[in-house]
Amino acid sequence: MALVVLITVHMVAHHFVVQGTGGLRSYRQVLEYVANPAIFTIELLFLVAVTVHAMLGLRGVLFDLATGERAREWISRALVVLGVVTVAYGVALIVALASRA
Amino acid sequence: MSDAIDERRSRGPVQRKGLGPRPVGWLDPRGRTLGHLAFVANRITGLGLVFYLYLHLAVLSLLLPGGEAWNDFLELATTTVFLLLDVLLLFGLLYHGLNGLRVTLVGTGYVPNRQKALWWAGAVIGTLVLALAAIRILGES
Repeated sequence: MALVVLITVHMVAHHFVVQGTGGLRSYRQVLEYVANPAIFTIELLFLVAVTVHAMLGLRGVLFDLATGERAREWISRALVVLGVVTVAYGVALIVALASRA
Repeated sequence: MSDAIDERRSRGPVQRKGLGPRPVGWLDPRGRTLGHLAFVANRITGLGLVFYLYLHLAVLSLLLPGGEAWNDFLELATTTVFLLLDVLLLFGLLYHGLNGLRVTLVGTGYVPNRQKALWWAGAVIGTLVLALAAIRILGES
């Protein structure tokens, strides 16, 4: 439910508020947008929520392919690592962009 | 009788009995109910969205070198083909999100036994939102 709210905010803010083709922001507009403390927080929450959701979804699909207990343990571990790397990269990206505004 | 039950319990849970369904059996649409087709579509859109998550992070990384790379990308991203892909992305998000709400409402017991009606309600709402968004996105290209 939280994810539906966050994705709605994200999509509306990125594509339906900005004037211009496709609602896309220019370089300067992106930096100013991400530097807003409220947006910065929302984007971080969104990143974490969407990554956790994605990893759990992938886990469900992969568990259908691998029924062995050992294989499932490896899948779970690999997805935890992938999720942590994804969040870490996303946070670094958001922080780097916000600091340039 | 209880000996047989104890013996069966001692062997632990059944991981797989006989050949069973194929690992990708969930993809087979033949003879499926609306609920199963909704589940299949949910998985396919979910896999597409996971792919898009990483594509999105890669695209946003273009902002790191500076404005030039981003502005070059914007020229490409505002072509009609890319805006149509945006509409496709929105379809995936709407389907996955609305179906997720349907599953939540049914699964938590708020609206049990109404899963088909909820799917159709989601289809109507999703189609309307997608049409309005497509006009907004493509209208300015």
